[in-house]
Amino acid sequence: MADKPVYEEASIDGQPPKLASIPASDTTVWADASPLLQAACAGLRDGELIHGDNFNLFAAMSALEIMDPKMDSGIVCTYYSIDEAIENGAAPIPISLDSTIDVRCTIDIMDHLLACEAAWHKGHSLAQTVFSCIYLLRLDRTAPHALLHSYCRIIRATCKAVVSVVSDARTHEEEDLFTMTYGLPLNGDGDDKCLSILNAVEETISRQLRACKATSSKRRLPEDLEPLQSNPNLEEGFCKALLCRLRFRKHFFHVLSCMKRPQGRGLESARKHIASCLTELESILKSADFLRSCFDESCEGDIDDKTTASGFEPIGFDAMLNSRLSAPTPPRAIKILSWKKAVEYFVKLLHDLDVICSYSLDPHLESLLRFVVQFQKSQPDLVARSHLQLLLVQDGKLYGRDPFFAVINKAAALPEATKNHDIQKNESFLQLGMLVMNLLKILCTNAAWQRRKLGKFLQDWRVIYVQLELAFRNEYGEVSSSSNDENKCMKIFQHILLWVEEQTYWIAFRFLILGFELELYSTGEYCMVYWYLYAVLIKLTEKTHLMMAVSHDTAKRKGKKKKDSPKDLARESRIPPAVLFLQCYICLAEGLTMMLAALRNEIPVFHSPSPFNTEHEKFVQHFELLQRACIPDHVSYPSYKESTTHARFSTLAMYNYFKDAQRIAKEVKSSFSNDPERLAELRKLEQVAEHNSVAQNVICRLGALDPSLKVSFEFSHHPFFATVVVKRS
Amino acid sequence: MLLQQQKETRGRERTMEAKPEEKAEFEEAEIEYVSYGGEHHLPLIMNLVDQELSEPYSIFTYRYFVYLWPQLSFLAFHKGKCIGTVVCKMGEHRNTFRGYIAMLVVIKPYRGRGIATELVTRSIRMMMESGCEEVTLEAEVTNKGALALYGRLGFIRAKRLFHYYLNGVDAFRLKLLFPPPRQVL
Repeated sequence: MADKPVYEEASIDGQPPKLASIPASDTTVWADASPLLQAACAGLRDGELIHGDNFNLFAAMSALEIMDPKMDSGIVCTYYSIDEAIENGAAPIPISLDSTIDVRCTIDIMDHLLACEAAWHKGHSLAQTVFSCIYLLRLDRTAPHALLHSYCRIIRATCKAVVSVVSDARTHEEEDLFTMTYGLPLNGDGDDKCLSILNAVEETISRQLRACKATSSKRRLPEDLEPLQSNPNLEEGFCKALLCRLRFRKHFFHVLSCMKRPQGRGLESARKHIASCLTELESILKSADFLRSCFDESCEGDIDDKTTASGFEPIGFDAMLNSRLSAPTPPRAIKILSWKKAVEYFVKLLHDLDVICSYSLDPHLESLLRFVVQFQKSQPDLVARSHLQLLLVQDGKLYGRDPFFAVINKAAALPEATKNHDIQKNESFLQLGMLVMNLLKILCTNAAWQRRKLGKFLQDWRVIYVQLELAFRNEYGEVSSSSNDENKCMKIFQHILLWVEEQTYWIAFRFLILGFELELYSTGEYCMVYWYLYAVLIKLTEKTHLMMAVSHDTAKRKGKKKKDSPKDLARESRIPPAVLFLQCYICLAEGLTMMLAALRNEIPVFHSPSPFNTEHEKFVQHFELLQRACIPDHVSYPSYKESTTHARFSTLAMYNYFKDAQRIAKEVKSSFSNDPERLAELRKLEQVAEHNSVAQNVICRLGALDPSLKVSFEFSHHPFFATVVVKRS
Repeated sequence: MLLQQQKETRGRERTMEAKPEEKAEFEEAEIEYVSYGGEHHLPLIMNLVDQELSEPYSIFTYRYFVYLWPQLSFLAFHKGKCIGTVVCKMGEHRNTFRGYIAMLVVIKPYRGRGIATELVTRSIRMMMESGCEEVTLEAEVTNKGALALYGRLGFIRAKRLFHYYLNGVDAFRLKLLFPPPRQVL
């Protein structure tokens, strides 16, 4: 439209302005279509629909009801545009002519922006959160207001940096709202200088703080220094409140920059900045008392719900202005996190980032996998997980440093010399490298998405195993005596085949236990899940044990050619602690399977058939992906039935697997004295075993006789091995 | 556009949180179950669903379901008043013929008496008879009532969908797999 629309006065009560007239242009003329619409309404009877060739009922669902505020994202709520909002004084510069109020309002804006940023990180669109700030949408206007300008610039640069990290990680899928920045002014000229701009402002306020502290008794300021605001009693408090906020932003920006440096080179520096951020956040929290008390007027409502430390509503925000940019979701009012919760969010984020920065970049894949699994237990959010993923996989290498073949070489207990072998150029080995890379990326995603991907991933690992096995047989068939190099290649294949199997079962194990974390199994399904878990654990333990034997061989060959001492021989014949750990799992899985099977077979209420299908269908659904990949082989619903159909309280009483688990856990604890995580888990396993052992005894003695006995399952001790609770109802 | 609407049709059923106050007095036999019979039923369904859900659907959404699959929607009446409804669809999805439960509502005073179960059961039976291999729906992870209802009918929690709903709540994708049809000898 060439001309601006002519408006009536904007109503005081906040109703959208009514258009008095929209001028026509040279080639258009306006005509009133109301009579036509009226006639059209009368032209269809109830139930009739107009059919179009390219417009079916499904498409009709996407129709919007214009002027319905819940569907019409173009609806004008308060202002037609950002410019109109500004013209109507929605984002004044300066915010107030009273410098004291101006400073307080600036702090309110800073706080609300922090709350918006946290809301964005938590899963809302950037357009409705951080960029609901009119000052940010027209950043250049803020130039006369040094404080606001510098703060907005660094916010913009920070958001851009964070979007970049999450986009590069590329596994956000369900979290895809995060990276939508279309139409938002994220790229600012001169934003690369945002730190120096911020530093200048910080320096000025630092000087003001020093000055007001030094002259507080003399009540006279140096001539060249203007006070921040007009009330000398509040000067110190405001300076401090501003400084910690500016410093937090500075250090946070540094954290992001340091962590971006390749091959983890900036991690140590990042940790220092993280520590500074946490200190400043503490100061920010402390400033709340001052900000709330410095004005006579108190704010309404619960202070804990407010998005600012002072409790006042911030000036200059309108979430609906960008409603067209927050598509594809329909326009919904979103709840910005409270200021307190926002600070909590950033504290957690910083702690999660600190864990990542403290990681030693261990070249051993097994340790890395355990680190990632452990990290995920604290339920880190998207921003933290993206940073971890980018640290682990850069430029197609582990930590941007180690080629994946070398990583696999080490994991498969091959001698160091083979890591440069030409065999890595073989197509199958290249693909295996990709699989390991993808595995690491998947393990950094949210648990729900991760489990789905791991399930589908099993097929890829099965296929690569088959491919490698085929290649091995084609190359080496029945060859017994062969050249040195051929021997080397054979060894590589053998080790890697074994390692691939171990990894595949580990993925299957992870897939199954994530189901508990995600609450995907109902109690009636626990029996089959623990049974399948048992089957997978048996194979995993077998492969792990073999892998360790093979690894020990390699180590021996590397070591001095000494004759084996009796001590060495004894150590060799002992079961490695890692294998014993898995055997503890096996005992618990078996114990739970049998107990659940006995309960099902003996107590009617435990076995409630559904009208539309049977246990067989549930088995097929839960384990479809595992079955398709034949993991493990020869495992099926009939074999599950066979294992469990004869379980009774009498048979249960004959063997207590939980006692075995207890015993193993106790014995193996000393081997993990240097591993606090595994030690902690062993204690939990012991507790589960102990409780379940007692429960089993009670059930066996009283189960069939006492109908008031209620059996339930809780995950109070261990995340995937249930504790059995027996009560009288 | 399509994506927007699909995100909007994510069921926001809050069906099963039964509260002890204001319970209706009735015998289960007094409830009449009726298959969707035409346009005259549409406002009843719309009112029920609009009443119970925080976000009303447009009329086109209802029409899509009840026009294309009228045999899959059912209404429950008590003394002439519509007190519950279920709205579904079915179709080919990645080589499986699958039913989908879009909306299920029973008004508060009538909850906890098996009416929702009966409505859903009728729909599922119709889907089974029509050759569906499975039935699916989404439910909030916090909707204990719905999860229990569908669990009793044989649904499993096939997937968890992170932050599926616009308020950040996760969802379960529930799936019921029918047994393979009995072979006629």
